[in-house]
Amino acid sequence: MTGMTRERDVREAYAAHSGELYGFAVRSLGDAGLAEEAVQETFLRAWKAGERFDPEIGSLRTWLFAILRNVVIDLGRARASRPRVAEGGVEPSVEPLEQALLAWQVEEAMRRIGEDHRRVLLETHFRARPYSEVAAELGVPEGTIKSRVYYGLKALRVALEEMGYEG
Amino acid sequence: MRADDHRDWKLSLGAYALGDLPADERAAISAHLEGCAECRAELRELEGVAALLPLADPARIEQPTVRPPADLGARIEAQIAAESSREGRERRRRRVRLWVGGAAATAAVAAILALVVLPVGGENSPAQQVRFASVPNGVSIHATLEPHAFGTEIHMYVKGVRSGTLCRVFLKDDSGRTYPAGSFRYRWGDDSEAELSSALDLSQAAALGVHAGGRTFVAPISSATALAGGAGIDLT
Repeated sequence: MTGMTRERDVREAYAAHSGELYGFAVRSLGDAGLAEEAVQETFLRAWKAGERFDPEIGSLRTWLFAILRNVVIDLGRARASRPRVAEGGVEPSVEPLEQALLAWQVEEAMRRIGEDHRRVLLETHFRARPYSEVAAELGVPEGTIKSRVYYGLKALRVALEEMGYEG
Repeated sequence: MRADDHRDWKLSLGAYALGDLPADERAAISAHLEGCAECRAELRELEGVAALLPLADPARIEQPTVRPPADLGARIEAQIAAESSREGRERRRRRVRLWVGGAAATAAVAAILALVVLPVGGENSPAQQVRFASVPNGVSIHATLEPHAFGTEIHMYVKGVRSGTLCRVFLKDDSGRTYPAGSFRYRWGDDSEAELSSALDLSQAAALGVHAGGRTFVAPISSATALAGGAGIDLT
């Protein structure tokens, strides 16, 4: 795809990227309805500005996320200026948006790596459990836990790169 | 160093990058790293990922990936199709507005304001096609009328009129009273269209008229019997 000026281009872009865009929108807005609104507005803006998309400069995915980022900021501002109506609604994320995007990418990458690797990283790193304890629970040698941490981080890096991470 | 040792060190680099190793093991790996460029390069990559992990919320990781509603794509396509058709109409309208007189431009502005301000009313009746039968050979005039809260929107198509001809358009109600709908002048060729508006409600409009080139053409709106009331094009 060289631009996003035709309705067919929008359909293709939606098929390829809507899941991620929606996932990030839900995470940053904390509301499924607002997230739908954000994704809809993102594709509308992208279509209107379709001629400005240049694949030489960056990927379509990166461009769409940049638009979504602005839409989320606009929706956040609009919501901040409205009286609160949603009782029991999830509080919106208070993280800066760039950090929220990176956090969402790491979480999404964690979901994409193999179950064995994810489990070991969750238990040892996020829950700070000793390797020996996790090894005993899973019935594998401690060395296996160590190698799963290693391969888990490598898989995580690949998953992040697939999502545009260039660090 | 044996190849197996190197492999063992390497497999420990993840735990090393995350700071999970006991001090003695950490010191041993640090010593290995001093002399192993391959492991140092590997470590740099792993440390880059390890540094990002604190950003993630483990509770969110364990939640299933959310998916957009199945109909969201269709809704977006429908919205874009609607915008696309609206923009096409706007482009045509802008093209013609360059040449319409001040009165028509004012009417158009008033129409837009009315669209924004007034509650929508009278929009349920369908658009009406109007064809002018009594026109000179080679001239073809027809129009589509759309009901709006502000009155009637008139999409007019004229073919065969000499370039530069001023056309004044109006609607007439049953009593024969005339309601101006603005004017336009063709500058390019003899085949053009214009978007106009009149304050008369479409349900009360009996005829559409065009005054052009010193002649007035009138066509009935809802039935042939309404011809007496008349709407006209004035070709001057």
